[in-house]
Amino acid sequence: MDELEFLKQNWKKQEENLPRLSYDDIYKMIWKRSSSIVKWIFVISIVELLLSSLLSIYMADANYWAQMEQLHLKEITIYFYIASYLITFYFIYCFYRNYRRISSTDDAATLMQNIIRTRKTVKTYIAYILISTGVYSIVITWFTIQNHQITQEVQDVSKYTFDTMDWVKLAVAGCVILAIILLALWLFYRLVYGILLGRLKRNYRELKRLEM
Amino acid sequence: MKNNLEHEFVSNLEKHQNIVHKICRMYTNDREAHNDLFQEVTIQLWKAYPKFRGDSKFSTWMYRVALNTAITLYRKSKKDLHTQDFDEVSFKIKAEVYDDEVEQQLQLMYKAVKELNDIDKALVFLYLEDQSYKEISDTLGISEVNARVKMNRIKKTLKNILNP
Repeated sequence: MDELEFLKQNWKKQEENLPRLSYDDIYKMIWKRSSSIVKWIFVISIVELLLSSLLSIYMADANYWAQMEQLHLKEITIYFYIASYLITFYFIYCFYRNYRRISSTDDAATLMQNIIRTRKTVKTYIAYILISTGVYSIVITWFTIQNHQITQEVQDVSKYTFDTMDWVKLAVAGCVILAIILLALWLFYRLVYGILLGRLKRNYRELKRLEM
Repeated sequence: MKNNLEHEFVSNLEKHQNIVHKICRMYTNDREAHNDLFQEVTIQLWKAYPKFRGDSKFSTWMYRVALNTAITLYRKSKKDLHTQDFDEVSFKIKAEVYDDEVEQQLQLMYKAVKELNDIDKALVFLYLEDQSYKEISDTLGISEVNARVKMNRIKKTLKNILNP
């Protein structure tokens, strides 16, 4: 006989050995907090925004702004701040919308599609963070190099003059440092969101395969 | 009003809790994870309950939400994948009714089913619960034909696992 058929015939008989919860046990459960994947993505994005805001407020004291002013970077930094907050808020809105849209009563394929959309939002968000960090670092470095002579009283000019080799060294060192920072950021996000989304991707692929 | 809804929901779930327990048993490997998943399913069911209009049976609706939670919304801890508390995993039936051999065979079969991936497991579960292919395809969002084709493939896979 078919193995599965055999299990099916005996399937109901396991019920006597299942745990049994009381009315009160279940009642208490409905007030506990959900720990679903989508909720965590939403929560983490908000915690992240709060942390990065606190960090930038803490770092941006009067001294910092004075320095930025000297390097003619104050305006750019302000624009950058405004843009990055606007974009971050947009992403939080997207995470929230995804979170609201996802309903456990959809069929599994629809539900998973919605979660995959969330995954896409997360990926775009990470790409945005990496690209903006890269661009901002390059812009700041560029302006610093352009303007640093104005701010320093240089006595022996020859000491501070770069020949071509020095510029190459500086560029290579800068790129390496930037690459390391970006890699660290990328790893951090992979860790935070990757854990949440890994299994889901497998399941989605499996569902897709069913339709082929 | 709210309290009525609560009472109605909890009573319904209490009555049909076996469905959720069976899903938890299939998707987790120890008591702690079982309870975690049960709790998450309960929360998801309660969150969705106001939208439940009674146009389907409570139990049918439960299959969908509970399986969705198990295969998509619930975060499996790593521990689940490695530890096997055999007592919790195994398929238990009333000992005196069956002889050892039958029970052993059922346990092997159940273990093989647990080795399937999340989606296949959902299909098998619904099949074992005597759901029609129409119901299976509704719950998973695939076509009825695909559900049948897939089920045949799973049967072969299980046969291979059991008779290598």
